Amino acid sequence: MTDWNAMSDADFRKEVRAFFEAEYPEELRHLPHRPKFAEIEHWHRKLHAKGWVAPAWPAEFGGMGLNAAKLLIFYEEQQRWGVNRGRDMGVQMVGPLIIKFGTQEQKDYWLPRILSCEDIWCQGYSEPGAGSDLANLRTRAEIDGDDFVINGQKIWTTMAHDATHIFMLVRTDPDAPKKQQGISFLLAPMDQPGIEVRTITTLSGETEFCEVFFDNARTPRENLVGELNKGWTMAKALLSFERIFIGSPSLAQNALGQLESFARGRGAFDDPVFRDRFAQAALDVEDHAALYARFADQLKRGETLGADVSMLKIWVTECFQRITELMIEAAGPDGGSIGPLQVGNVSVDVLSSFYKARPTTIYGGSNEIQRNILSKAVLGLPG
Amino acid sequence: MVRELAEAGVFGVAVPEDQGGLGMGLAAGGVIAEEVGRVFAPEPVVSTIGLSLGLLRRLCPDHPKMAQLIGGEISLAVAWQERGPDGAPADATCRYADGKLTGGKAWVVGAIGSHGFLVVAEQDDGPVLVLAEADAQGLVIDKRTQADGSSLGELSFSGTPAAELASSGAVLTALAEAVADATALAAAELVGVSERAFEITLDYIKTREQFDKPIGSFQVIQHRAVDLNVMCEVAQAGVREALAQMDSETDPKVRARLASRAKARAVTAAKKITRDAIQLHGAVGYTDEFDIGLYLNRALVLSAWLGDDAYHRRLWFEAREQEGAAQ
Repeated sequence: MTDWNAMSDADFRKEVRAFFEAEYPEELRHLPHRPKFAEIEHWHRKLHAKGWVAPAWPAEFGGMGLNAAKLLIFYEEQQRWGVNRGRDMGVQMVGPLIIKFGTQEQKDYWLPRILSCEDIWCQGYSEPGAGSDLANLRTRAEIDGDDFVINGQKIWTTMAHDATHIFMLVRTDPDAPKKQQGISFLLAPMDQPGIEVRTITTLSGETEFCEVFFDNARTPRENLVGELNKGWTMAKALLSFERIFIGSPSLAQNALGQLESFARGRGAFDDPVFRDRFAQAALDVEDHAALYARFADQLKRGETLGADVSMLKIWVTECFQRITELMIEAAGPDGGSIGPLQVGNVSVDVLSSFYKARPTTIYGGSNEIQRNILSKAVLGLPG
Repeated sequence: MVRELAEAGVFGVAVPEDQGGLGMGLAAGGVIAEEVGRVFAPEPVVSTIGLSLGLLRRLCPDHPKMAQLIGGEISLAVAWQERGPDGAPADATCRYADGKLTGGKAWVVGAIGSHGFLVVAEQDDGPVLVLAEADAQGLVIDKRTQADGSSLGELSFSGTPAAELASSGAVLTALAEAVADATALAAAELVGVSERAFEITLDYIKTREQFDKPIGSFQVIQHRAVDLNVMCEVAQAGVREALAQMDSETDPKVRARLASRAKARAVTAAKKITRDAIQLHGAVGYTDEFDIGLYLNRALVLSAWLGDDAYHRRLWFEAREQEGAAQ
């Protein structure tokens, strides 16, 4: 077993980069959509054989056991080469939760199946009435003999139509004094008559989001992870690393690179107004990367990140949006047209970038929620 | 106060050790400049570290004035820009011949109270750096008061005696380097101004009550405060990174681009933060009873000095294009 954490950062980066560059299928680089599993299965097999499916998991459960600093490098290289994250909800969300709160039986059964993608997971958190106010969720799970019986509805469930299992937050005690207190974390198989999945078509024409309806769906009682009614605290405990990852500069950096080639090809830099707006955006990305590096260094020193890391997400997602808006400006009369535009030797899909940028300020805790968090937890403002 | 700063080694922070300084580079200079911005120090710290010592250490490190500057015994103002007939910056025409200066210089920081002037002038065979004493014959100093109470000098020389320190193309190269240093340090000072202005404002919105609550409990105020805080942190990170990179970079063009990056960011942030700070203070923010106005005024002055954000974004973009074309 390799102790990756003992390697120097530079050597580790080199090794990760070399593997991606040699092994990642060219046709899957920078995929513009979320793939179904079948589309990336050949890549997943390679990754699985290499033992690199779960970089953050401890080695004893089949992960790479990377510390935060090495993990960041792994993800940076993944994004740099345009390596698709794959169907990673199991690895990113449910696996760590089972490792932390699951029973031995749950670990033995579920973890290998997550790594092999025998089970493909989707995340059932949001509901029509529980978006930013997630604790307001209403989907009920009631004990009936050896099963939980589930009734309700989930929404924005990414790739539910291509998942075999769902992990979800459900209400198990509707009478708890605080709404955060009556919530549990439950696993359920998707292939059953009580579950119906409908895809939602987004503004960009993709169908990665779904609605999932539960009508007396069933799951065995042993699929409760952690204690009954403790799901909220458990789910929150998982978020700390995600908060720096979601604020990484790569999306904005890639978009800026695209904008630059496109603008140059279209002669947009002849316009001094455009030049200034480009310079603003480019400096916004550069200075954000400096702030990101400051938080990353904190992780490298072994410190825990505070709530202030949320500022990365606010800045970079809004910057990403401005960059894609500049792309539309540079496109001029082509700014409303669907499909790729060929400019010199680059092909740019202007609207697809624009659409891709829109939900970034909504998902992962909307930017307004992030501002609420910073206001309270970092600035100490009342109320 | 100048002597205390000198004893702490402040002025010599970026001067190499073998020239009598601390040899800690611009990054350390930036930390000092941030502190200067926070405490609103009226002393010409940044212009001394960046411009006066920046020029002397590159052109004549053995000159006795070096040690005096580092020791805080004297201050020297650098006179290099000129005003054209339309009032805007113009090409240098100030002449140096037979040991005497003739012409004018504008926007001289620290002119009032300085012991002398480092003047970049033209002579027959190119640029020259000379030293004119503050009480030299034929030197007239016109004082222009700035928003923060500091002043700029407009100098006119008519046969003013001055001693030559250095000549040839090296003068302009050293001047460009010193200006880049001072620009980056001014950016760091602006970061300090922004940070302190934000802290004062944050305290204010926690205590000021309206509708029986602190105004900082209203979401519209909270989100504005968060945006200012984020802007402040991005500015600090960006400026510090730019200064650190300047320390490890030798190509003057790249150093100038990094200085422009720092100043563009610092000015954008300081303008927004100090102006919003006035708004969040409400009517009292518009009075001179509250400190917050000082920071607004300091930001105005530091933004105008050595180029504002729009100016530096232009320089930054041009430098980036040239580097791209050269590759």
